[in-house]
Amino acid sequence: MKPAMMVMLGTALIAQSAMAAEIGRIKRSMGTASVERGKAKLAPVPGFQLQSGDRLVTGRDGQMSLTFIDDTRFSVGPNSSIAVDQFDYNRTTQAGNFVTRVNRGSLAVVSGQIAKSKQDAMKVRTPTSLLGVRGTRFIVEVPK
Amino acid sequence: MSPACLAPLMLAGLLVGCATPSLTLLPSEEGKQGAVAVIEENGVARETVVSELNSRTNLSGRPRTRSVDPKLSARQRALLDTLPPPPVRLTLYFREGTTQLTSESEPGLDFLKKEIAGRPGAEVQVTGYTDTLGSDEDNDRLSQRRAEEVLAALADQGLDRDMMSAVGRGERELRVRTDDGVREPANRRVVVTVR
Repeated sequence: MKPAMMVMLGTALIAQSAMAAEIGRIKRSMGTASVERGKAKLAPVPGFQLQSGDRLVTGRDGQMSLTFIDDTRFSVGPNSSIAVDQFDYNRTTQAGNFVTRVNRGSLAVVSGQIAKSKQDAMKVRTPTSLLGVRGTRFIVEVPK
Repeated sequence: MSPACLAPLMLAGLLVGCATPSLTLLPSEEGKQGAVAVIEENGVARETVVSELNSRTNLSGRPRTRSVDPKLSARQRALLDTLPPPPVRLTLYFREGTTQLTSESEPGLDFLKKEIAGRPGAEVQVTGYTDTLGSDEDNDRLSQRRAEEVLAALADQGLDRDMMSAVGRGERELRVRTDDGVREPANRRVVVTVR
């Protein structure tokens, strides 16, 4: 391999590992529940490290609770499919962007530092709307 | 309004609540005000700020907010009950130029261990802060290094390294407000957050 290519490959690997940084952890899960990452279905055991792009999926008896590194907290109800589409967070400045998509089911949120960093830095998308979170506790429900 | 009118109205409210996506806004755990804005609805940009606490707003069609207090459904209560507990924070002070805790801060270690044990899947953030002496960039570096030193010291005391990360916040969030370029021991601290 040419050195130039190796450098490029190295850069790509570094970029990937930076992207795969931990954004939060699973605290509890009950019943049928999984974290979907690409094509993989992973078991949400306590301490499981979440990444941006992960999808939180529960069955009829499922439930998951989790915290993010900006202090945001989630509780995911049964029959839910929720994607963390974007989670960029600078831990030094505590600013960032956080986009969650509730495709179906229910999600309780206590927002954290990202929501405080600037107006609508934290957004929640449902199939019919886009919400700008201005710092609070709320529930989003998307019935089937 | 007569009781006979109330029933159909309540029923209508329930139907709206169940059939379309909805937002339920609650007070913060400290009882404080917050807000969520509907900034887009069915592809149309808008700015409907929901700030009425204990209210439900439909998220399809024109957003309308109704009071729900105190009638959360059993499912909603279950959802709130399973939220993880709020993070706890502990401020640690060290003997000048060392990673040895001051005697006042020593009991903090036991407190941290207890909190971590009580929170399955715990994550611990060690955040360093400086006073305002020196440049912002130097203070960011200094606080990061301080946090890393303390992380290593906590690991030596038996805390799991894999659950910890170090962050430097420099001279942001001063504990004691001072002008720039001021020595202030109370601002030179490390805060440990357990989530």
